[in-house]
Order: sequence, then structure tokens, then C-alpha cells
Amino acid sequence: MWWAFLQPLILMLLFNMLRGFVNIPSDGVPYILFSYSALVPWTFFTNAVAACGPSITANAEVIKKIALPREVFPLAAVTATLFDFAMSAILLAVLMVWYKVQVGFCLLWIIPLVMLMAGTAFAIGILLAGLGTFRKDFIFATPFITQAWLFVTPVIYPLSSVPEQWKNMYMLNPMVGIIEGFRNVLLRASAPPPEPILFAVFMTVVMLAISWPIFRRLSSYFADVL
Amino acid sequence: MRFPLSNEVAIRIRGLWKRYGLPLPKVVEKSVMYLKKHRNALRGSRDRGPWALRDIHLDVKKGDTVGIVGRNGAGKSTLLKILAGVTSPTAGRVEIYGRIFPMIELNAGLHMELTGRENVRLLGAVMGLSRKEIEDRLPEIEDFCELGDWFDRPVRMYSSGMLGRLGFGVAVNVESDVILIDETFAVGDLKFQNKSLARVREMRESGATILLVSHSLETLQFVAQRGILLEEGKLIASGSALEAINTYETLVFRSEQKRLEHRVRNRISTQEVNIFGARIYGPNLETISEVSSGAPFGIEIHLRLNRRVDRPMFSLGILNAAGILCKWNISEEDGLTIRGESEEYLLRAWYAENYFANGAYEVHFAARDAASFETMERIAGIVSFDVVGPKRARGIINGVCEWELAPYRSDNVAQTNEVVQDTGRQTKTATHHS
Repeated sequence: MWWAFLQPLILMLLFNMLRGFVNIPSDGVPYILFSYSALVPWTFFTNAVAACGPSITANAEVIKKIALPREVFPLAAVTATLFDFAMSAILLAVLMVWYKVQVGFCLLWIIPLVMLMAGTAFAIGILLAGLGTFRKDFIFATPFITQAWLFVTPVIYPLSSVPEQWKNMYMLNPMVGIIEGFRNVLLRASAPPPEPILFAVFMTVVMLAISWPIFRRLSSYFADVL
Repeated sequence: MRFPLSNEVAIRIRGLWKRYGLPLPKVVEKSVMYLKKHRNALRGSRDRGPWALRDIHLDVKKGDTVGIVGRNGAGKSTLLKILAGVTSPTAGRVEIYGRIFPMIELNAGLHMELTGRENVRLLGAVMGLSRKEIEDRLPEIEDFCELGDWFDRPVRMYSSGMLGRLGFGVAVNVESDVILIDETFAVGDLKFQNKSLARVREMRESGATILLVSHSLETLQFVAQRGILLEEGKLIASGSALEAINTYETLVFRSEQKRLEHRVRNRISTQEVNIFGARIYGPNLETISEVSSGAPFGIEIHLRLNRRVDRPMFSLGILNAAGILCKWNISEEDGLTIRGESEEYLLRAWYAENYFANGAYEVHFAARDAASFETMERIAGIVSFDVVGPKRARGIINGVCEWELAPYRSDNVAQTNEVVQDTGRQTKTATHHS
């Protein structure tokens, strides 16, 4: 349970150190708040995806004996990670109070944002769970994939520092819209930025449309290889 | 897809093939085959494993109780897994009409830290019952499992028998149209087993279709009306339960025989005796392949002694399909005292009284020198035969029994002592059998 706090906290401190060496803009927000507000959803995303991967192998005994929708296991993994997310959000709330951040009704955007975030993690997670059950390499590769992903997501730096000509391509990453959405809602008391969030919704739907059928197909043979 | 008779069929299987693992798309499969053909010498065969089920066609009528028999690895459990939906067929179609109990091993879904009651709720939820449906059935299940106070204790404290009872209790008390049972009759004591059997029959009468796998042929014969026999993934016999069981017993025996042809089991040989052959013969010395129930028969062994044996001693043991020694005769004890010269002989053993029950038998033969008690030759499974007869009675020993249902009167219970003793013995035998 302490890990729920520690993981984003340690990353935040590291990023702050990094900022001591190189100049990273933060759109006028205190950098601690700027990075931590992004690290809370980001940590959720990486942990949820990482938990999905082995969720099938971990429940081998049940899967080999009972026919129930296999989606249950990655879904449970994502849901369990949501509790960690809630834990680390408490610390974020404390920070927000400390820095006297003004919030309004825009805070209600949190609900669809969390759902979108969980949906994205689920879409990636079931693909990894499905493939990882047959080839362990996919599970081992997960940390490297998410690490690389961190650098193409505005966690350390703001979206505004991405060169304009690359922005459209950059926004194909659904986490861009989600992280920027969280920042807008929490720190700037405004709705999520429309363009990135639409991209995020679109990409999540596309990813689900690809990964879910693959998972379905793979899942009917899970019992054979466990 | 609709079939005209679909309301009478519970399970329809057409051309079912199953190989464990993810089936590759046709194109990939073909290219792999092509590559394999050309690179076999380089990389060796990369076979993706044998077929677990081959080309199964089966219709199970609504309300039938079907016993599935077959040796280990014949595909029985695979078939149940596919029917339950735990795994998918590689090719072919499986249609199930009605609600199926989606579990093959009943204590698989049990959570060790939860109590029996909580586990029942969990299992119910897994099977898609509503909260109310579960609560309605809980008392019934609690009653059936006979766990008493243990029902509210964590499952990790249960004995294996209690776990089995809990699982079975859930399975048979949740209404399903098709129920799959894999080796669960062994759980619990005799009383619980009887109750389970009674419950299965009750379900059958209420129109449920039941498929059960059991190695206890006695149980199958008792519960199942129909039977199918699987061998190396193929469905090789289907008919009444009795027919399937009989075919199975013969099959087990034949394969044993086949194994023998490659490598004689337990053979002790000193080169002092050569055995050329053995056969089963009838009253006129004619070779027979089957022995009629109750009819006399003989065993003939063609052998050659390679040295003079003053007191040769031959023994013949007859084992049934379960490996139980049913008869054991020693030539010397039966009065064959003759000196054996260094010559060829035909050794004949005539069984004038045949009490063998229907089934398959295997003959073990040994030749000894009674003077030194040295074993010269011992062959397990030198020959085998079937005893066939019209009667259904099973057991090890054949023969009629005179039954009487006598009214209980004082003059009828004169020899009290003897009766009590007999009853005691009978009870023992009954316990042993079931």
C-alpha cells in the first residue's frame, strides 16, 4: 500500500532533481505539482498495464477448470490498480491544498477522465495479457515499452514544448490527452483541452477495437497452454 | 444453426478435432508445413503435438446419462473441457442446447481463505446466478454437503473429502440442463456417495443431461444408461453403458496383449525352457478365441525342455482385466508328477469347472524345477481370452445364486447364529465393491 504513495513520489523527486540541471518549462505551475499531477495517472497506467500481463497466468487454476469470460482477469487487475490510484490521489490533494490551488466544478471532469484512463490501460493490458500468455517475452517487454512511452507523454515536460509540426502525430498517444486533461482540470480549473482529449478517445476506441477481438480469439485457447 | 430435432438433442458434436495449443491460420499452417518438408533434415521435426481428439461425432439426447470411458490420455477430460467451454476446438462444431454447468473440476474455483458458505456464493456468482437465486439455494446446498459447522469455516481447513463434497454439492444443486462430472464419485464416505448417486439419478429424472467420466466401471454401470469409449482421441464405440464398458475392458486387454508382442513383460528366462506358443482350446482340442460363460476350456502351451528335469512344476495364473488373480494352479499340486526329458511337449491344463465371470482374462505361466525350486521360465500374459455370456451379473466369480424372499417368522430364524455371520460377510463384500 505504501508503494501507491512512494512510486509517483520518488519519480517526482527525481524529475525535480533533473529540472535542477536542465531547463524544463512547467507553464507557470509549481513544478512539484506539475509533475505529480501527471505522475499519478501515469503511474496508474504503467501499473495497470503491468498487472494485466500476468493476470491470466496467475489465475491458471481457475482458467483451466471454469469457463467464464477471460476478460474478468485483466479487468480485475485494472480495477485493483484503481485503488492504488485513489491512494496516491490523496497525496495529490494534500499538495493541492498546500499550494492553495483553486478548483471549481471542472473537477467533475475527473470521472470521465478516470474512465478513459482505465479504458486505455485495459485496451493495452488485454493485448499484453493475451499475447503474454502464449509468449512470455511480451510480459518481460512491458516495462521497457512503458518506459519509452513515458518520454512521448507530457509528464516531465508540458505539451506546449512539443514542436508544432509534430503535435498531431504526438497526440495519437492517448495518454497525451489524458495527462493534459488531468492537469487542466486539477491545476488550471478548466475543462480538458478539446483536441488532445478527442484524439485520446478516438485512439482508445481504435485500440480496443483491435486488441479486444485479438484477446477474444486468443482467450479460447488459454487453457491449452497454462 | 437450427436443426429440426434440436429440441430433443442436448449436445451435438460434429467433426470435432482438438490439438492443444493455439491453432494457426491456414496460410501459416501451410507455409510451416512447406518449410518443414524442406528443412526437416536441418532443424528436425517441430511437431505441434498429437491430436487429443480426432473427428468426434456425437449426439446426446436430452435427459441421457452418458458415461465416458477410456484409458488415461484417451481424451475424456479434453472432451469435457471443450463441452464446458474451458477450451475451444481446433476444428469442428460443438452445439449445446440449454444451460451448461461450466465447470469440470469442482473444487477448482474454491478460494481457500473464504468459508464454505462464501465459496458457494462465489461459485454461484461465477456461474451467473443472481444474488437471490444463490440465497434460495444455500440452505439446500448446506444440507446436501453435510459439513455442519465446517460450512462456516475457511475452506483451507477442510479435508479433501470435505472439499469434494462442497464442490459436488454446488454442482448438483445448481439447475443446469447439461452437467459434466469428472471423477467425483470418489468423494465422501459410502453414505455420501450413495446420496450423490441418488441425486444424479434425480437430476436425470428431472430431464438433465449428464456426462460423466469415471474409472469406476461399477459406478458407471450403475448410473449411466449410455456409454461412449474413447481411444487415442477417437470415439471407437458408443451404445449402452454396458456395451461401452465391455468394449473398454476388452480394449484394455488387447492393448496389453499388443504391448506383449513387442516386449514380453516380466520375463525370466534361463534358456532351459523354450516356449513356442500357447492357445486356448475347447472340448475337441479346437482353438477358441472366446470362452462361453460356464463352459469348460483348456490352456495349451507348446514348450521344449532343454535339459532333463526330474520334477518339473508348471503353474498357471489367470488374471482378470483389473489385474486380480482369479485362479492359480500348480501342476504338482493338481497331481501332475512326471519326469521331463530334454524334449518338446504340449502342456495342457483343462478347466472343467469354469467359474469365470464375463470379461477379459490374461494367463501367466511359469515353469520351475521343483527339486531346486529354480524358476526356469516365467511369462506374464502368455495368452489371453474373453469369457462371454448373456448374463449381466458382474463380479469376479460367475454362477447362479438361489434367491429367496422368506417371510420373517419364528420358525424361519432357527439358525440365528449362522444368519448373523452371513450377513456380516455380505456387508463387508458390499462395502468393498462400491
